[in-house]
Amino acid sequence: MNEKISSILKTVEKPGRYSGGEYGAVIKDKKAIKARFAFCFPDTYEIGMSNLGMRILYGSLNSDPDIWCERVFAPWVDMQEKMRSYDVPLWAHESGDPVAEFDIVGFTLQYEMCYTTVLRVLELSRIPLLAAERGEEDPIIIGGGPCAYNPEPIADFFDCFSIGEGEDNLVEFTKLYIRMKEEGRYTRAAFLHEAAATIKGIYVPSLYDVTYHEDGTVAAITPKFEDVPKQVQKCIIEDMDRAFFPENVVMPYVEAVHDRIMLEVYRGCIRGCRFCQAGMIYRPVREKSHEVLNKQARCLYDNTGYEEISLTSLSISDYTELEPLTRELLEWTDPNMVSLSLPSLRVDSFSRELMERIASVRTSSLTFAPEAGTQRLRDVINKNVREEDLMRAVNVAFSGGKTNVKLYFMNGLPTETAEDIEGIATLAKNVVHEFYQNKERPKGRSPQVTISVSCFIPKPFTPFQWEAQDTMEMLREKQEYLGEKVTDRKVRYTHHDARVSHIEAVLARGNRRLGAALLLAAKEGFCFDAWDEFFDYDKWLSVFERSGIDPAFFANRQMGLDEVLPWDVIDCGVSKEFFKRERERAYAAATTPNCREKCSGCGANRLGGARTCCPGGGARNEK
Amino acid sequence: MKNNDVKFTLPMLAEPRTLRVRFRKVGNLQYISHLDLQRTFSRVLVRAGLPLWYTKGFNPHIKMVFGMPLPVGSESECELLDIRIEREMSCEEVKARLNRELTDELAVLEVYPATEKFTAITFAEYEYTIVTTGANAALAAQIDEVLQGGGLTVTKKSKSGEKEVDLSAHILSTEVRFQEGLIFVCAKLSAAEGKYISPEALITALRAKTGILSGDPTKEHYRILRRRALLADGKTEFR
Ligand code: SF4
Repeated sequence: MNEKISSILKTVEKPGRYSGGEYGAVIKDKKAIKARFAFCFPDTYEIGMSNLGMRILYGSLNSDPDIWCERVFAPWVDMQEKMRSYDVPLWAHESGDPVAEFDIVGFTLQYEMCYTTVLRVLELSRIPLLAAERGEEDPIIIGGGPCAYNPEPIADFFDCFSIGEGEDNLVEFTKLYIRMKEEGRYTRAAFLHEAAATIKGIYVPSLYDVTYHEDGTVAAITPKFEDVPKQVQKCIIEDMDRAFFPENVVMPYVEAVHDRIMLEVYRGCIRGCRFCQAGMIYRPVREKSHEVLNKQARCLYDNTGYEEISLTSLSISDYTELEPLTRELLEWTDPNMVSLSLPSLRVDSFSRELMERIASVRTSSLTFAPEAGTQRLRDVINKNVREEDLMRAVNVAFSGGKTNVKLYFMNGLPTETAEDIEGIATLAKNVVHEFYQNKERPKGRSPQVTISVSCFIPKPFTPFQWEAQDTMEMLREKQEYLGEKVTDRKVRYTHHDARVSHIEAVLARGNRRLGAALLLAAKEGFCFDAWDEFFDYDKWLSVFERSGIDPAFFANRQMGLDEVLPWDVIDCGVSKEFFKRERERAYAAATTPNCREKCSGCGANRLGGARTCCPGGGARNEK
Repeated sequence: MKNNDVKFTLPMLAEPRTLRVRFRKVGNLQYISHLDLQRTFSRVLVRAGLPLWYTKGFNPHIKMVFGMPLPVGSESECELLDIRIEREMSCEEVKARLNRELTDELAVLEVYPATEKFTAITFAEYEYTIVTTGANAALAAQIDEVLQGGGLTVTKKSKSGEKEVDLSAHILSTEVRFQEGLIFVCAKLSAAEGKYISPEALITALRAKTGILSGDPTKEHYRILRRRALLADGKTEFR
């Protein structure tokens, strides 16, 4: 940390976010390495340090002796102001060196609302925002993470994207950079072209021509060269037991949002909720074996001293080796006073004895996500949860002494009617009723049922990718309607801001033309739009209007089934045909069995995978 | 790979033993708040594999008692932390194990059985290094005069509101030196329970009286280093 930065730290809030010096941070000798990688999480330190993906990629890049990967976070507004006043460009966390001096700058794109923060980070780093304006001396800017699956709205600002799981592919990418520099063949253009042509999962937007129809829809996305793939297929790690595992963890001093051991149990999801992007883009399901997980957990505990281990995956109950894993973990977590938590555990899938030994079960509340208020609509979205399942779960919880239940729902799902909305209120009321029916309920206490309702956002690579989002007026009307229907005083109702969901939908399904709006937003000082206090809907509308963008075209339009979608240039593994089939089944309110019951031929098994239930994949228990 | 279960094989002590850990908190680590430091140490003690004593009861936890408070933005060579172990482990071993889990900016300097109570701490000795544009011998003399002159006050914020505190009454002694373009102040300030004064208070008072350190923080800045904790005689180091 140089003296200038250090002296500013005495004048800002929570200086510990910027000071670095954490145990486990990787420091390398600048002379002994060949490429410097700045890995940026475009939000605050506390949020970025909670991200498991960032930890994995940091470890994986640094495991290569030729590469030094450092972390970069978005400084809070008070710090940004000081940096401007005292002329300090954004620096990397470990060395304190300016980000602009790095070879490669990577951004992990976890949510669309971070786009303006990405641009702010580039600006604070003094790197030209537009890829087309960067020179030979500027770093290569690469993006990854779930939002990279539709990279088009931010294509103007990135030199390239890494699609899919980056553990191996980012190292390969950086190695190619080093090789071309060493061989004297490096120019930006030559490197990007070679990366696109030879490394799996690398998408270079500038190597594609996008043409449009008169109505504004995409006509074609065509590679400019023969050796550049027409469609970029995502990368996966086939065998999760052999995936890079970060044994040494950076220990933040400032409390991260998730400050505990996060043990990734498997990737993908066997359920096919039709609105859920994560459930599709991480296919196929690939499990880690319980032996490997137990070893990894123990190693992380010894290396961190965390007092809590959280098993993370999209739906933890679906892990086939959950019982043996839990038993093995409890053997040493109990005597060491480490608590074990299994978020989103489905109570019916687990023995009572084990349940009682798990920390998350001991807390006072239960969360459950029926997503929709009626069975009909739950069938439409393929959320295979029945009212009986919910009632069984709450009864186990009430008998166990809990009084708080939190239920998650969504407004604006395709085919939603007034009855479905009313169903949300009814379901909540039934839970309250169930409490008073339960003879083992905690005596003398009353239940608190919270319903938290978000707005449906049509996301790329889901069966609902073509659907129109409800207009703001409709969403608001629905939210109010539900408010009227919630009459039980034991039920608390909260809902998301429909305005944020609307902008999110525009950014999620946008095409390259959105680049102009984002550039204008950056010039007008947008930043931290994922934070309520900075999000300004009217300013967004104004920016769209002045850049000739009709937000409704992206958010509220039913896209044509034969239309070229902006994200068609990416192959996420799951086929478009599958999405179409699933869409049809949705409109017929027909459910689709989960992947373990029966394969529905989504196409993701083409990518391979070990310990998966996909046809042709490695046997589930193959070690 | 290490395995912390080794601690379970050590012989039990008849009574839990309190060990005192003296550590430094310098450089980047000066920006870590007390709460963050507590959380950090609770994990450091665990991953060092120490045979920690846990409180009995519903929510067992380890015992940690810190010495004097240190404001964010001040450095120290004499931070003190009392911990409790329930099995035999030598002080040298505890120190070595802790230092394996810490960076140099938070290194443990000494571990010994605690004998005196923290309440015996009466004063603390600080060294201030001041970098300011107009630094010269005359300014140093002016600072010296201000500090010796008495009548300095600071406003202290607490839950019950703000109150004026007689800073001069909390200063045991000061020494000012001008050397190689820098101004050094060595000060012994009250640190007893209830009378503790933050080392920042001296900077605040100097800023008000002389106008130094009010400009661009990248050009004018200061460093505070706490060197020693002292007993009531103002000379003997507290251990
Ligand atoms: S290939 Fe079959 S089993 Fe595998 S993810 Fe797709 S639908 Fe599920």
